[in-house]
Amino acid sequence: MREISVKVNGHLRRRTIKDNELLLDFLRERVEVRSVKAACWRGECGLCTVVLDGSLVKSCLVLAVEADGKEVKTVEGISRGAELEPIQRAFVDHGAAQCGFCTPAWVLATHELLRKNPHPTDAELTEAVGGLVCRCGTYNQIREAVAAVAQGPSKPKRRAVESLAEA
Amino acid sequence: MSFGSPYLTLPDFAYHRPGSLEEALELLKEYGDDAKLMGGGIGLIAFMKERLMSPAHVVDMKGIPELKKVERGSGRGLRIGAAVTIEELLEMEALRKDHAVLYEALAKVADPMIRRRATLVGNLCEAIPWVDSPPALIALDATLEIVGTEGKRNAQISNFIRGPVDIDLAPNEIVTAVEVPEARGRESAFEKFTAGSEFSVASVAVVLQSEGKKKNPRVVYGAVNSVPIRSAEVEEEIKDGITPATVRRAADAAFNHVECVDDVLASSAYRKHLVKVITTKVLKRMMSG
Repeated sequence: MREISVKVNGHLRRRTIKDNELLLDFLRERVEVRSVKAACWRGECGLCTVVLDGSLVKSCLVLAVEADGKEVKTVEGISRGAELEPIQRAFVDHGAAQCGFCTPAWVLATHELLRKNPHPTDAELTEAVGGLVCRCGTYNQIREAVAAVAQGPSKPKRRAVESLAEA
Repeated sequence: MSFGSPYLTLPDFAYHRPGSLEEALELLKEYGDDAKLMGGGIGLIAFMKERLMSPAHVVDMKGIPELKKVERGSGRGLRIGAAVTIEELLEMEALRKDHAVLYEALAKVADPMIRRRATLVGNLCEAIPWVDSPPALIALDATLEIVGTEGKRNAQISNFIRGPVDIDLAPNEIVTAVEVPEARGRESAFEKFTAGSEFSVASVAVVLQSEGKKKNPRVVYGAVNSVPIRSAEVEEEIKDGITPATVRRAADAAFNHVECVDDVLASSAYRKHLVKVITTKVLKRMMSG
């Protein structure tokens, strides 16, 4: 057992952990950040994605002890109070969440992408989210949501239902 | 601890983060076989979850400053430290320009989130037959620098990888760096085929190191057998250059001579076909570019 301190979404969290704990376990069970999902546990699905010291990583492949003294950001840390970030708004407008289980990871990953590259090409988007899966298959809606934010707020918003009706 | 998952937790171990190579070697001396080295942890954590490895001690190499460095050698060669991540390498203009075969192999490893944690040396030391860095490094004639409690040695990568998940590394040794030789006169490229998984079903790394008219080709196939295979027959066909005729002959030589095995990913017959396809593809690309 050892004590570690991790800044999670701006708050310093000091917890006693075991050396063999995953960052994923630490966040969900010790800090109770439940937007970080435990699904495949093998680094394949990407639903446990967090921002660790500025870069996106899969928290099921990081030991909790490795995050000692570092900063972690999850989807809870991206919005300013009750006000949604543009990408969150766009996910709602484009119906980019179906069951919603993977949505926190997708919002976080696309938010990070847009922060570093405000106008990603389709290929850059595909590359950046290569490690994430959505079993409902909302990929097209996610693409639309990202494109809407990348193009700016003036672009008319299409809802998924309407685009389905057109199809 | 059964947090959340009933089975994919990690075995009990003590975590160590030495701040120097000397400290790391001390730990290995003390714990020997009970210790495992960790770079990015991608392979080790996966192996531990499956209980294929249950080390009592995990020695993290990310705290050792000298392992975090990439140095330029003579003639644009590179010395890549063991804790350098794949992402850090991909960001280097020099890798893309001078060592294209390695750049192309690494650019398609897993996904960006994994490449941000995974190290080149870790990827190599996993010695999983389907990973991409070994064929690229063997084609480049790269060597490993290994430091142990008894001293330092260099190893050829083709000797270092003995078989699937089997490397020539004693419990008291650490791979500290990969050395990629100078790039003068080099053209190189990498091609792979995957089928729904991130692992390669077949891959090929080609390096031409021209000296006058001689091309000195090195052609290495990955993922088709338990270890990467260099093909003298394919090299023979392109030793004077890549032309439409030599591409055809090299592809036939690959089909006829590269030994392919059956495994969970594909049959040997399918791999034989793939070997021909990727050989054609990679050589055509080198011919036009």
